[in-house]
Amino acid sequence: MLAPAVTLIGVFVLVPMLLTIWLSFQDWSTQTPFSEASFTGLDNFQEIFGPTSVGRDFKTALLNTAIYTALSVILILPLSVAFGLMVYQREVAGGTALRTVLFSTYMVPMIAVALVWSKLYSPSEGPLNQLLGLVGIGPQPWLSSPRSALLSIVFLNVWQQVGYFTVLAIAGLTQIPGSLYEAATLDGANGREQFRFITLPLLRRTLLFSAVIAIINAVQVFEPVALITQGGPVGSTNILTYHIRRVGIERAQGGLGSAMAVMLMLSLIVCVSALFAFVDRKDSE
Amino acid sequence: MSLARISKLALAAGLVALPASGWAQSVNISYLTHWSPETVALLEAAAKDFSKEHPDVAITVRAVPFGDLLTTLRSQGGSSDGPTIGGIYDLWLPELARDKLVAPAPDAVAAEVKSAWPAGVVSAASVGGTLYGIPNEIDVYALNYNKELFKEAGIAAPPKTWAEFKDAAAKLTNKDKGQQGFGMINSWAAGVVHPFASLLVSNGGNLVKDGKPALDSPQAAETFALYEDLIKSGASNPAMATADANTTGPFLDNFVSGKTGMIIMANWWESALKTGMGDKFANVATAPIPVGPHGDKPHSISYSWMTVVNAKAGEAEQKAAWEFLAWLNNPKSGKNGASAMSDILMSMGILPSRTSDVEAHKDKLGSEFLSGYVSVLADARPFPVVPGGQEFSESLQQTLEALQYGQVSAKDAQANAQADATSILERAAK
Repeated sequence: MLAPAVTLIGVFVLVPMLLTIWLSFQDWSTQTPFSEASFTGLDNFQEIFGPTSVGRDFKTALLNTAIYTALSVILILPLSVAFGLMVYQREVAGGTALRTVLFSTYMVPMIAVALVWSKLYSPSEGPLNQLLGLVGIGPQPWLSSPRSALLSIVFLNVWQQVGYFTVLAIAGLTQIPGSLYEAATLDGANGREQFRFITLPLLRRTLLFSAVIAIINAVQVFEPVALITQGGPVGSTNILTYHIRRVGIERAQGGLGSAMAVMLMLSLIVCVSALFAFVDRKDSE
Repeated sequence: MSLARISKLALAAGLVALPASGWAQSVNISYLTHWSPETVALLEAAAKDFSKEHPDVAITVRAVPFGDLLTTLRSQGGSSDGPTIGGIYDLWLPELARDKLVAPAPDAVAAEVKSAWPAGVVSAASVGGTLYGIPNEIDVYALNYNKELFKEAGIAAPPKTWAEFKDAAAKLTNKDKGQQGFGMINSWAAGVVHPFASLLVSNGGNLVKDGKPALDSPQAAETFALYEDLIKSGASNPAMATADANTTGPFLDNFVSGKTGMIIMANWWESALKTGMGDKFANVATAPIPVGPHGDKPHSISYSWMTVVNAKAGEAEQKAAWEFLAWLNNPKSGKNGASAMSDILMSMGILPSRTSDVEAHKDKLGSEFLSGYVSVLADARPFPVVPGGQEFSESLQQTLEALQYGQVSAKDAQANAQADATSILERAAK
């Protein structure tokens, strides 16, 4: 009974992917039928890695996406484990309330998050700068500077996503048998040693799953950029999904946009495969 | 009476009622715009007036943010179910026409437009001599300044030359108060490029000449250097310059809250200024663009908007759309000899482009704020409408923003801008 599932996957997953790969070798306007596409070999790939504005903008967007993804994962995973441990401790008062609050940020629609955070980040009247002013720190440019704009979007992403990953971490923690901690306590292991030699190793699979989902979510980021920064200033928040939309839809350059999408897909495959390989190596060690 | 008999009677009654309801509004057309809800309400009221005279046509209005307008037109305009009418920026027309997304105007509409609008505006709504849209608004850039800040800084009159402009910007800058002399814009292509282009043409230069980029001229070099000077001297602070998807944001907030002395901006933001400033709007004055060392007199950049019809829409929908647009832009549809479209535009402080509309709104166009724009219209240079124009504009935006943030020198910015523009326009022309 695999045939229907295979057909569905083929139609809805493989065909669009193969079509994108085919289009990446074509000169094609998104406003014309596929029949009008003309084969150009590797020209689109040469262009997106070339020295012109097309290449420069693509490479900047690729780098921005990589930085955004790396920072998001680096911040989200440890925070989710820390929050997970805090909430999982049964003796902590208000654990359920904290879990609800953490998860609620994940349920807020991005449009609302974007509206609120764009005001929080306002350089002149924003509450964040006012709070910093109370502790003697001068106003920060946040979204108004190419040096801090991407980081500001990362903070917004971490704020919104960390609750979801905390729930995943809690699910992982519940899988660790309590008897292991009891035995370790009898053997004289302190809390730090228990975390290092029991919790972390046994959370590895959960963390791998969380890392893969966090990477995919981060690579697909679109709304905060489209709603708040439009890729600026100086292209500092121009991430690949937003850039592909600009090239492929606004400028109708379907061939170039497809080549960019293929590169994004390849980068994601390499990144996730490397992560699996790393964890497998650790497992075999 | 049996149930069967009642059913037959009900069916007969329904069939009789059909022509009056279902058939009465047999053509549904939609209008896509980026206007605010208040302005959309005015357009909906005009559509309702049209439908009174044309009960067979139902018009719905849909608005998206400016930043999403082109994408929406591109992604939905290729279908017969996409918006029937779209309000577009003239820079987008060559590529939308090339991709056959917009329909040529019928002969009667084209003849009317050619006789009732200035030739330059008609040309911006045409590609290869074929008219594609009915022009409505024309926008032009001028220097906006805060009279109260000028008075505090001891500046008697708005700057007429670049030397006076730099001097005024320096006097208006007060870092302790978080105040900048001249406000640039970033994160919004037209907001970045048009003020730069206005200064460039007031220095005798051009963005594009004879279809080729002209950013390698000495006049352009001086304009890039002017930006560098303003940034390096601290008279312009890029951190106060960010715009968002609705073309508002900190750059607007800083001007309305009196933290920016001068800005080069278009007439259409009158409504945003009034909303943001309230009574303090009286502090805002308009002056011509300061003239550069190579310039002869103040010039500025102008651009126009028009309404186009979806080429993929059905025949009946296209016919109804052109009829509605012809009515909307006709002097009989508005008040006192103005078109309904011009009444809507004037509610936002936008200059109408139809000759009879300019005459009909003469009094309001003479207001202190708008008269400054009307006076520079005659010497304005249209923003070059060429294939690849939007990409060219976005590329120049990136270069100017890099200059604003000190990532490149004026010399490198000029070289990059020319090289990028050459490659973009050559590719688009193929």
